[in-house]
Amino acid sequence: MREDKTLAQALESRGVSRRAFLKYASYVATLMALPPSASRVIAEELAKARRQSVIWLSFQECTGCTESITRSMSPTLEDLIFDFISLDYHHTLQAVSGAAAEHARTEAMKANKGKYIVVVDGSVPLKDGGVYSTIAGITNLDMLKETAKDAFAVVSVGTCAAFGGIPHANPNPTGAVAISEIITDKPVVNIPGCPPIPEAMTGTLAYLLSFGKLPELDAKGRPLAFFGETIHDRCYRRPFYERGMFANSFDDEGARKGWCLYKVGCKGPIAYNACATLKWNGGASFPIQSGHGCLGCSEPGFWDKGGFYEPLAAATAKLDIGVGAAAVAGVAAGAAAAELMRRKKSAAVDAANSKKKDG
Amino acid sequence: MRSHDAADCCADAVTGLAEAVLSEIADLLDQFAASGAQSSIDLSGLPMTDADREKLAQRLGRGEVQATLDVAGQTDVWETQYAGVWWVRHFGGNGQVISEEIAITHVPAILLTHREDARAAAERLRKACEVLEATTAADQSSAERDSIHA
Repeated sequence: MREDKTLAQALESRGVSRRAFLKYASYVATLMALPPSASRVIAEELAKARRQSVIWLSFQECTGCTESITRSMSPTLEDLIFDFISLDYHHTLQAVSGAAAEHARTEAMKANKGKYIVVVDGSVPLKDGGVYSTIAGITNLDMLKETAKDAFAVVSVGTCAAFGGIPHANPNPTGAVAISEIITDKPVVNIPGCPPIPEAMTGTLAYLLSFGKLPELDAKGRPLAFFGETIHDRCYRRPFYERGMFANSFDDEGARKGWCLYKVGCKGPIAYNACATLKWNGGASFPIQSGHGCLGCSEPGFWDKGGFYEPLAAATAKLDIGVGAAAVAGVAAGAAAAELMRRKKSAAVDAANSKKKDG
Repeated sequence: MRSHDAADCCADAVTGLAEAVLSEIADLLDQFAASGAQSSIDLSGLPMTDADREKLAQRLGRGEVQATLDVAGQTDVWETQYAGVWWVRHFGGNGQVISEEIAITHVPAILLTHREDARAAAERLRKACEVLEATTAADQSSAERDSIHA
């Protein structure tokens, strides 16, 4: 529920000082690529804010997104977000509460009309009246429409909610669609990923709470702070790509030496996400650092892009995917040029990236 | 000929960014000295390698003040050898650096006591005094009773 006390007042008794707010604000400013001077503003606004009511709906999903945001070994600065929000309903976490949980959802909607945020993980099946996924006898479609009606904003976490994800993959037997295809009358922020990076979820929520508005989004509704660059743009192995030094299989010399994984299917050049900079598990690593190519899980249709171990160039030949194909073609041209003309690598890569961005 | 492995192109590489940042700090310090204008640079947002960061830290050195804060994880703050140029490094709960900045200022804001924290502390201290007074009074009363019975 939305509380009368400010966050600072509510947390004061637990020894959370204004310094902690300032430190958290520095963290959010860094995450969201805001100027450091924004930290003081964020800290002051967070301290004055009330706990934000959040209703979390879980539809056609695997619970990986919830795992990503809630998994933590011990309370940390990063977890302060759970003190800043009031998670009034979470379908998966409250499943055993049955009718009481559904009551909490409707009560939160009434008490915070126009102010609450709906977080959705999972896609929504439309085929056959939406019967393929229901909660408490209510189809996902009906629950989404009813719950989002009086929300301030909707946040789609995970690729299933953002773009349809795996339920939407060919042949899409349940007619799964993204949340943004259903909710068209209010802001929808997409935080894709399978699962999404926890910092992208918490940073976006903290931004909404601090500024009362959405962060800057790209054309696919993703916060630019996290999805403004490709994995390839920020990959530590990129210099090998530019030198034309590739792993050709997972056990060859190139793989052992940590060369570029483009030829073994890395989708980094077309995947917009922050894994290469924020990484996973407390900054320990990310797929490419662990020796596996990027699957491009934050992009629409990632499951149907011609095989995880097929190079992007091969996928281009098999699929006609419109704009995506243009991007793939641009990158493929870049890779070939890099290999053939190592000494002229920079120009070739620039041209490829330019094509990709235009595409 | 150099071997080509992953370490060559990431953590150990020196990109020249340290010198660029140093030059920006010099400009900002000029402005601070001339007009008192405070500013900061978010190092976390720059594509610096570990080697770049180490180089910048070496060039800036350490000055007169160092502090360690225990605020939802550790925070290290130190003034560099250039007065008014501070390095602020925030750690998260798992010991990972989550934010790092250079602050050109009198003293970084994280070191200052916020008035609201002082107000809350004053309330706590007042209560502690009241408890102490009550305890002392009770002890005295008990001691007086004991002396009468003796």
